[in-house]
Amino acid sequence: MLVKIVMELEDVPGQLLKALEPISRLGGNIQSIMHQRERKTPLGRIPVMLVFEVGDRARLNRILATLRARGVRVTQLGEREGAARTTALLIGPHTDIRDTIDRLDALRGVRVSDLSLAMGGLGQESAARMTITTDDEKRASLAISNLQRIAARKKLLLITSLEAG
Amino acid sequence: MRLVLVGFGNLGRGLSRVLIQKASFLRRSHGLIPRVVAAVDEFGAAVDEKGLNLTRLLRVAGKAGTVAAYRGGKRGKFALRVIEGVEADVVYELTPTNIKTGEPGLTHIKRAMRAGKHVITSNKGPLVVAFRELDSLARRCGVEFRYSASVGGAVPVVGLAKELLAGNEIREIRGVLNGTTNYILTRMSREGAPFEVVLREAQELGVAEKDPTLDIEGIDTASKITILANSLLGMNARLKDVKVAGIKRVRPEAIRLAKEAGQMIKLIGIAKRGSLEVGPKLVPLGHPLAVGGTLNAVTFELDLAREISITGFGAGPKETSSSLLGDLIDIHRTLGG
Repeated sequence: MLVKIVMELEDVPGQLLKALEPISRLGGNIQSIMHQRERKTPLGRIPVMLVFEVGDRARLNRILATLRARGVRVTQLGEREGAARTTALLIGPHTDIRDTIDRLDALRGVRVSDLSLAMGGLGQESAARMTITTDDEKRASLAISNLQRIAARKKLLLITSLEAG
Repeated sequence: MRLVLVGFGNLGRGLSRVLIQKASFLRRSHGLIPRVVAAVDEFGAAVDEKGLNLTRLLRVAGKAGTVAAYRGGKRGKFALRVIEGVEADVVYELTPTNIKTGEPGLTHIKRAMRAGKHVITSNKGPLVVAFRELDSLARRCGVEFRYSASVGGAVPVVGLAKELLAGNEIREIRGVLNGTTNYILTRMSREGAPFEVVLREAQELGVAEKDPTLDIEGIDTASKITILANSLLGMNARLKDVKVAGIKRVRPEAIRLAKEAGQMIKLIGIAKRGSLEVGPKLVPLGHPLAVGGTLNAVTFELDLAREISITGFGAGPKETSSSLLGDLIDIHRTLGG
């Protein structure tokens, strides 16, 4: 899941490293860091917005506990998992569905979070349903247009959600 | 009002029955007295400037298979001669659709307009092939041109957008516009039966035609999307501008997977400026476009009203007469009747 936190750091050298080290050690994959110097708190602390990816809830909790133990104040915590979610069906021979999924997962902020397959009878096409989870709507439409290209090349019938545009 | 019916198949006959049934209603409520002065089909014509007896016309044409069997009727190709030569106010162009050439409807409509006659049509062919040309020809000739029945059957898609929603900018039109494919998808969904089996059943019931290609390959829907793009979005679109996918490859397993995710598979036509598309789409259960059976449904996305959806019967002679008759009343009012 993708997690966004805002933490407040003292304005002295070495503070950022103190906060980042446990995140990456505990398996978090940091995607962006933004200092908000203009929003310095009355106590002289600087808010830092951090976006990182982490495997599951338990890992996230461990990271947060470690930060607390090191005296880092986390003032905001938001999961961005499922910010945009769309369902798509693919009909055709599904011998290389893994490749389709890998190609989507390779896009930044895009993940195939669910897959169901229904095999057709002998000599008939099969159907696959995938749920694609993305950080935001823009990435969702990027994922869909990629999927359209993949489907066209593999001669699959792609059925997207009406709302996916 | 003097009417000429060109084409006397299901729609021509359905309209005639409705004109008989509604005669006193039309006079009382709308001050409209329609008089069919000529009827033409591919085998002949029946003309009576005092007005044909529609009950008799329906009877003899039903028996003989042509209006030429009417008293004084003639066998032969008379469409153009009748359209141009018989004194009339409105020509109903109700011949079968040819989406490649638009003929014979296209020529019928042009000749009628040039002869100073108002035109009402259900025929998609001429509208798909030459919408802009017909639209400006009507204006040049100073005649009214109506085509409500060409999209949505009884569902007043064009009228709703042009009249009641006239203050809005239409951003997008989405719709289930083909009853045959919607019937097939609905049956597949309810029974889990394969496409081929349901198609055969639909053909036996007369819901699908013997050659269902235009329906199941999405071309009929694409024709309607082309008409809507031209008439409501002000585009100059051709059929080839529409990206089309049909429903042939939709399998019962796919419908089941969709259902498990709370979705239905519907053949949807989408028109927005710069993008025309027809294809199977996932529609959430309970969505205005998630209609069953042979129903049609259309959603307009608008700048002021946001979303407006309508649903109804997209085919059938009686249902389509609702649009054909509505157009006649509309012309009658426009002309100050």
